[in-house]
Order: sequence, then structure tokens, then C-alpha cells
Amino acid sequence: MATTKRELSGLISEIGLDKQNGATLGRLVAHGGLAHALEGPDGKMTAQIRIPPDQLIWDPSILVLPHGGDVEIELVNDDTNTHCALLPSNGDSRWIWLPVYSRGKTTINLDGPGYYWFSSNVGNDEGRGLFGAIVVLGDVPSEARLDRPEQPRP
Amino acid sequence: MTEYVEAPPAAKLSELSASVGSAPAVAESVTYERLLEARSEPQNWLTYYGAYDGQRFSPLDQINTENVGRLGTAWVFQFGSYGLHAGASTYAFEAAPIVVDGVMFLSGWDGWVWAIDAKTGQQLWQYKHAIPFDVSLCCGNVNRGVAVAKGKVFVATLNAHVVALDATTGEAVWDTVHGDVRAGESATVAPLIVKNQVIVGSSGGEFGVRGHLDAYDIDTGQRLWRCYTIPKPGEPGADTWPADSPAWARGGGNTWVTGTFDPELNLLYWGTGNPAPDFDGEVREGDNLHSDSVIAVDADTGEIRWHYQFTPHDLWDYDSNMESILFEEDGRKLLAHFDKNGYFFVLDRTNGALVRVTPFSDRITWGEITADGGVKPQIFPDKEGEAVHFWPGPAGAKEWCHAAYSPRTNMFYVPVQDVGSTVTRRRREFKESIPYWGASVTVDTTDMAGQVKAFDAATNEEVWRFSWHLPISSSVLATAGDLVFCGTPSGEFNAFDARTGDLLWQFQTGSGHHSSPTTYSVDGKQYIAVPVGWGSWVEGFAPGMMGGPHGDALFVFALPSAS
Repeated sequence: MATTKRELSGLISEIGLDKQNGATLGRLVAHGGLAHALEGPDGKMTAQIRIPPDQLIWDPSILVLPHGGDVEIELVNDDTNTHCALLPSNGDSRWIWLPVYSRGKTTINLDGPGYYWFSSNVGNDEGRGLFGAIVVLGDVPSEARLDRPEQPRP
Repeated sequence: MTEYVEAPPAAKLSELSASVGSAPAVAESVTYERLLEARSEPQNWLTYYGAYDGQRFSPLDQINTENVGRLGTAWVFQFGSYGLHAGASTYAFEAAPIVVDGVMFLSGWDGWVWAIDAKTGQQLWQYKHAIPFDVSLCCGNVNRGVAVAKGKVFVATLNAHVVALDATTGEAVWDTVHGDVRAGESATVAPLIVKNQVIVGSSGGEFGVRGHLDAYDIDTGQRLWRCYTIPKPGEPGADTWPADSPAWARGGGNTWVTGTFDPELNLLYWGTGNPAPDFDGEVREGDNLHSDSVIAVDADTGEIRWHYQFTPHDLWDYDSNMESILFEEDGRKLLAHFDKNGYFFVLDRTNGALVRVTPFSDRITWGEITADGGVKPQIFPDKEGEAVHFWPGPAGAKEWCHAAYSPRTNMFYVPVQDVGSTVTRRRREFKESIPYWGASVTVDTTDMAGQVKAFDAATNEEVWRFSWHLPISSSVLATAGDLVFCGTPSGEFNAFDARTGDLLWQFQTGSGHHSSPTTYSVDGKQYIAVPVGWGSWVEGFAPGMMGGPHGDALFVFALPSAS
């Protein structure tokens, strides 16, 4: 029973993989929306990630940065349970409590390109859907690339 | 309208641990001059192999054949894994611990670097480089160690950066992009400090990259030179690649294991990896220089002065990245190299001339190397879809894990893997960042063996062997206590009599060994340190241990204190 990639998100919703305690126990990771970080005229990147009530997801679950560097993230907990956030960052990961109806900010630094997972790394949360991805677009600097002709990509 | 409270401030993960946060400034005085004379400081293990010659020999002799039976654990350092990370099933603890005046500097999987009190095991600081989940891991989430000099700790990261850390705080001082992750490049090598340079190799040979070796300014991170191992058209060696195809541009020849250095000759001896695609030679007719070679590189300019290719036109994935051990024989400057292809080479390191070559592995069916160095392939993937079986398999008779040499016994001590493999040529188109093997490969899960073997350096003849039912895939350490240390995939850490091979001591660490043990002393007490954590390319070197315990601990052993 083959399906196309375009149909995938619809099928996931249809069988309840995009909600808690639907098709399975939790919610398929990284299915909570996608948003782009904002980049100011000074090059500073900012983003907001929320935890909506009773969904055990990050919204967005996929945060896209245009390039590597520092990004200030505001985390908002709209849920009536306590969560936290463990965010990747060069130097050391950042960890923050997110009590009920709280908001907090932290700045992280990531290289690019590539994507990185973040989570609420407490027993009630991890695995149920509170995993998100930070996607860093772009290429490495030209001086770090191989001296060879352009090669085919997938 | 929801009224929000302010969340408690975000913290660094290390602030929520028992880590001290700083280390004594022991690295300030580590200079090139000290590295040149590293073996004169037996209390320290200053550089990857302990000294530039790659002998992995320590003059420490407090622990010796008489008392090693009383060796016990001094302390254990563990860390584990956090969250979802790259290569979750392949992370392994492969490093060689560096020790400077009582402080250990150690790297782990997934971008971790730690400073640890070498006497107590107390963590002093930690650094975490954020590694993308989707980075191309050539052979697992691993790192083989750090370099230390001029107050800094240098590490290559899986996403192909080179980072200099303040050795007292673990804070980044500079960060330079070393390779192109979109091309499938990564980095796992322990850097080597030579003069005012940080020498770093590249990984990615299974993705069809073009291997290179780079030097960075120790103070600024600025790249000083880059040496490509695969020549482009018009460069020396280009005639060993097809003239009418882009094969050279995808030719592999990566440099993912630390080299050795002769300061008198000013030459780096760096091993290079397999050509790409690994097993489909028809798309890259010719010898494919400088894959599967040792290249002698001018340490000031990055120019290749000479090379010796161990497996021309490789069809078996026989990288030659493993060490070239520098030693002297009747005043002659030589190097010894135990290759994946199962042969033990001795070369004149002034010019690359072959001195002698002999087999060191029990089962070699891929072909034969004659006494004059002639290579005669016999079994290799040739026809599309036709399976062939050969020994040793693609992990080789010896993987990257290092041999040792004792000047006291004039013997080499070698970890040997005896595992075969079935390979079927399966041609595929090259696409950047997609694995580029050109074959279907399965490595045997039964009928395997391993040994630690001792060879007379003067004759290449085997003197003794310790046989094990699994391939030996960890580095050997030799000491002036006439001991040889080496771990097994099943977790045993062993001490042998260096002269006889008698097993004198054994400790079950609970996970397989795929690292490089080192030794040092603090306040006159000798310690043996061994990272333990089974993983990496297990399906290649020991698939019969794919289900082995996945540990992540550094064990440190010492004799009991006098009561």
C-alpha cells in the first residue's frame, strides 16, 4: 500500500499520530509546526517557541535558522504542567525550567548547516512529543570547501 | 489573558553538575620544545602517541611484571549520553587520554571534551560542541583525542570544525571550519601540535570526498597550509587516475588518524585512507595515489616529499591510516607500519624505500605481497553482482587501533583482527553526501579470531601471541615495567609480560575496548588509564559483537597504596 510523500502529513493526521494518545501513546516527534527565526538588521536572530496546553509539543517543533550563529529563543509555557527545555549550544547545552504559565529567554550558538534536537528532558515529557528540531540552513565558508568541480547532489 | 511568570534563568548544563569549572594552568608551559622531549617527562602523556615517534612506550616502571597482579581501580569517570544525538547506536569512547602535570584532557563522543583531576577523577570542566544530528558519520560518533599546548586544548569536531579551548576554563578561544559537511566530510582525528601549528586530518572517505591534511596557526586558527592527498589533473600522481573522468575529485584518501613526526627530517608521516568508491575499481583505473599510503609531508609547507603505497588500486577498503612507528636500526632511520592488508612493512623513513615486508595476520586471501613489495591481487570484487569472500575483511587485519614498540625488548606489539568478509560489486552513481562504496558488503559474524602479537623489530619474526576468540580492536600500550596492556571487545583489560606474552593481570570493565590506553604518574604514583565504550564501526571490525554492552567509562588503575 504505497503512498506519496505529499500525502504523508494527511495520513499521519488521519490515524492520529499528530496528537497525544491517539494512534500511539505520544505524538510523533517533530510534528508541531514549523517557523523561521527572525533576523534583525544587525544580524541577530530571535525566535519564540511555545508549549500549548495538553499537547506535549513544541510549537513550532521545527525552528529554521537561515544560517549558523547566535539565536535568542523565548520559551513560553502555556500548559498547566511544568516542563523544561534542554537546548543544544556550542560550549555547553542550556537548560531552563518552564513552570506553568512561564516565559524565559536564552541564547544559543549553533554551527551550520545541519539540524539539532532539543527536548524537555524530564521523565514525563521526553518521548511523548516534546522533541523539536532546530534546522540551520546554509553552507560552510568557501575556504573550507573541497577544491574540486561542483559535484552532483541527490 | 494569561499572566506569565518569569522562568528561572537558563543555566549551562555543567553548572548543574559537580564539575569544578576550572583547571590549574598546567597547559601554559606546554611548548613545542617540551613536546620534542615528551618522553623525558614520563609522569605526563603530552601528545597523542606519548611522543612524536608513535611508539606508545612509557618509561614508567612502578607497575611491573612482579606487582601488576595487585593492580586495582583508582577511579572511574563516566558520562553517558544526553538526548537525541548523531549516531546514537555508534557512539564509542575511542580517545587517548592526555595528561599534563596532574590534569587529564579527554574527548568523548558527540563533541564532549573534559578536564579531569588525574589523581582523583574529579571533573574540572567540560566543553560540548553541538553536533548536528544529521552529520555524515563516516564510521560512528567518535573522537580519538585532543592536543594540548600553549594554554589551549585543541579538538576536531564531528561537523568538521577545529576548536581551541582555554585549558583552564574549557571556553572556546577560536573555532575554524575545517571541512564541508554538505560534501560528507567530518573529523574524528586527534590533532598533532608541531611548532606553531595544529595539524588536523579529514574524514569522509566512504562519501567520496577528496582527502586533505591541514595546518592551523596555534594562536589564531588561521589555516597555514592544506595538503590534498588525491592529486588533481597536472599534479604529481594524477596519472594514477583516469584522465577522462572526475574520479580524482571523489577519490577519498582521508587522513583520519594522527600521524607521527621526525623533527630532524622535518617530516610528518601520515597515513591515508581508501580510495572511493571502496570496492568498484573499474571507475578509477590506476594505482589511485595517494590512497592507502604513508605520505611524508614537509611540516612547514604541507608538500608531499615522498610516499609509499601499501595497496595500489585498493579493492578491499584497506585504509593505511594506522600509525607509522619511528625507530632506529643500526643507526638507520626506519618506520614500521602494520597495514589493514595484513602485512608488516618496514621503510627507510628518509626516502620511503622498502626495507622488508612480511605478513602478520594468519589468514590473508585477498592477494600476496612479495618480499620486494610487489602486490599480486587474487580475490577481489570484479564482476557486477558476483560475490567474493576474502580475508581480512574491510576492517583489516589491524584497524586504526595502534601497535606499540618497546626499546627495552626491541619488539612491536600489535592488535590483530582475523575476520573475513563477503563483498559483491554493486555500481552506483556518485552523489555528494551519499555513501559511495560501489558494493554490497557483509562481514562474517562467525569464524573470527584475534590476537595480540609480538614481533622482533630486527627480523619481523613473531615472538609470541595471545589468542582470543574475538578480534582485538584496541590500541596497545608498552611500558618500562616490561608490560603490555591491551583490551578486548568483550571487556577484559589485560596486562602481558612484554617478553613472554604471559597474561599477568586481567580486569573485566563491562564493555568492549576500542580506544588507546595511556599511562602517567602523579605524586610519584603510576596510573594506567583506559577509555572503555564499545561502538563505532562494529559491523565492520567485529559484527559478532554488535550486541555487546555499550559503555562510556574511563577506568584508571593503580597499585594499592602502602598501608
